[in-house]
Amino acid sequence: MYKKTVQIKNQSGLHARPGSEFVALATKFDSEIRLNKVGQPNRVADAKSIIFILSLGIRKGSMIEISAEGKDEVKAVDQLVALIESGFGEL
Amino acid sequence: MKVIHKGNAVSKGIGIGRAYIYKPYIPHIREEFISDSDIDKELETYEKVKHQAQKEISNIQKFLEENDDDKSKIFDAHLEILNDILIAEEMNKQIKGVKHSYRYGIKNVYGMFIKMISEVDDPLIKERVTDLKDVRNRLLRISDGVPESDLSLLNQSSIIIAQDLYPSDTATLDRKHVQAIITETGGMTSHTAIIAKSYEIPAILGVNRLMEEITQNDWTIVDAMNGIIYVNPDNETIELFKNKQKDFLFKQEIIKKYINTKPLTKDGTIIEISLNIGSASDEELENEPYVDGIGLFRSEFLYMENTQMPSEDQQFEVYKKALIKFKKKPVILRTLDVGGDKALSYLDLAKEDNPFLGNRAIRLCFNHIEMFKTQLRAALRASIFGNLWLMFPMVGSMDDIYKLKKIVEEVKEGLKKRNIEYDPKFKFGIMIEIPSIIMIADHVADVVDFASIGTNDLCQYLTAVDRMNPMVSTYFQSYAPSMFRVIKMAIEAFNKANKPLSVCGESGGDLIAAPILIGLGMRKLSMNKSSIAEIKRMIKSNTIEHLESIANHAISLKTEVEVVDYVKSQLDTEE
Repeated sequence: MYKKTVQIKNQSGLHARPGSEFVALATKFDSEIRLNKVGQPNRVADAKSIIFILSLGIRKGSMIEISAEGKDEVKAVDQLVALIESGFGEL
Repeated sequence: MKVIHKGNAVSKGIGIGRAYIYKPYIPHIREEFISDSDIDKELETYEKVKHQAQKEISNIQKFLEENDDDKSKIFDAHLEILNDILIAEEMNKQIKGVKHSYRYGIKNVYGMFIKMISEVDDPLIKERVTDLKDVRNRLLRISDGVPESDLSLLNQSSIIIAQDLYPSDTATLDRKHVQAIITETGGMTSHTAIIAKSYEIPAILGVNRLMEEITQNDWTIVDAMNGIIYVNPDNETIELFKNKQKDFLFKQEIIKKYINTKPLTKDGTIIEISLNIGSASDEELENEPYVDGIGLFRSEFLYMENTQMPSEDQQFEVYKKALIKFKKKPVILRTLDVGGDKALSYLDLAKEDNPFLGNRAIRLCFNHIEMFKTQLRAALRASIFGNLWLMFPMVGSMDDIYKLKKIVEEVKEGLKKRNIEYDPKFKFGIMIEIPSIIMIADHVADVVDFASIGTNDLCQYLTAVDRMNPMVSTYFQSYAPSMFRVIKMAIEAFNKANKPLSVCGESGGDLIAAPILIGLGMRKLSMNKSSIAEIKRMIKSNTIEHLESIANHAISLKTEVEVVDYVKSQLDTEE
């Protein structure tokens, strides 16, 4: 398993459009990918489900952990972290 | 005629037309079970319905793309939801496990997630519930064999009246015939608000019990400037609003054409246009691309919006936000200007007979030195994030300036002692609004970095008219030759000292006063957002030579009326 922590930088958090972009990228990988807010390890979302991600209420400033398990786990986590750090074009 | 005023005007404008009451498909689902042998068929039907939904959504996206829109992104979220793995998993459980019909399964699964997401404590995410409901209704409608109803074909000017509108309803809206939208629910960040704004359709949302107040085909006027709806208005009212609508649309056209242009006179003289702001809201700061800076940041809004004194950190954050948003463009922050017509609930101020001649602005700040220093500290701390120009209101003498400089030095020393960073290159300036300071403008220009003329107060003090007193309002003559003569003195002193001078009062954005000011040598005007496009148009329509000759003649005239008539008759206006 490979995991990283990242902070949400874009204004609107992970709502519709950024959420969709996030899911679209996550779906490209074979690994199982999960995410949760730091400090809420019990509420873990499947990164390939927009519904799950919305339900976590991730907003600007939230610290989240992304973890993946599978053969492309490192690539998956690194690319998702990079997407979040890019701010989804909202910075 | 019935008048309804209780809604949020989320998209400005005026709409006149017949009420079109839009009742979207409402699903009715009962609990239904299936037998083991039906499971495969049920799964298959669900897939077919999903497929159809996918097709419909893709068609909407195609429609939007062809109409040159990026709205189609909203529907990416719908496709995500439709194909969500979590929903697929739960649907499987419903059909295979509990043996619910797929229709009842849809109700349960979507219902569960709608509830889950409504509970998230974030307004942006909460709004996404609309997407879930929209996809759910689409699926159920398809399963009922009901065709896609839409607002894409209306045969007359219509006002859309609805409980709520889903993205699917608004996406293919017949923009030629929709005059306005009114709904019972929905706020500033709702889909309907976003769509209405981007299509420039006037909209009032959140109108309670709307459906009871209006019936199909009622003549309706939507005044989405003020959030007022008129049902079955008389002819006179209709005419009135037709004219208002025409004016509004005309103004919008000018804005579109000029807002993003560079303010150069016909012969290429650069005039800087800056923005007046209050609370530094996103909506205000959004105008950054169209202006050369913030010419007046009325910091008192921060104090007046709160029920207690805003803390240093609170102020710091707001100033920082504005400075960052304006990058390296100057942000002229006017320090607290209360007293006079503006009171603060948490500051106990003695009642005065002549508050405008009394303890206001810096005079009041001198008496509340800690409050004053708190603001200055917040501003200086924020200075490292942009280009801060600090401006002090109601300066009447050199003594005031010396006093202010001393206080600023003390604040700087305090920050240095605590190793707190600030930009040492921030600018120190004053408001010119008391006539006495103009009489010594040469001395002033030597010791300040810049100044800005507040024409409202300058006129009030020059003409000795309390501008809050309606009994003397006709004596308040802001176009009087005397005003421009006084301003000319300030311009000459500052131009000679080569120090920046601007105008940030009403006159800066006024189509009679601004041309004279430019003609007198003013090169910086600051104004409210609503004046920017018109002033840019005026600048682009005239040469500097022409404005100079207008100004020279205007100050030789004798009365205000003569000035107004003369300027109106002389100005060129580009079509």
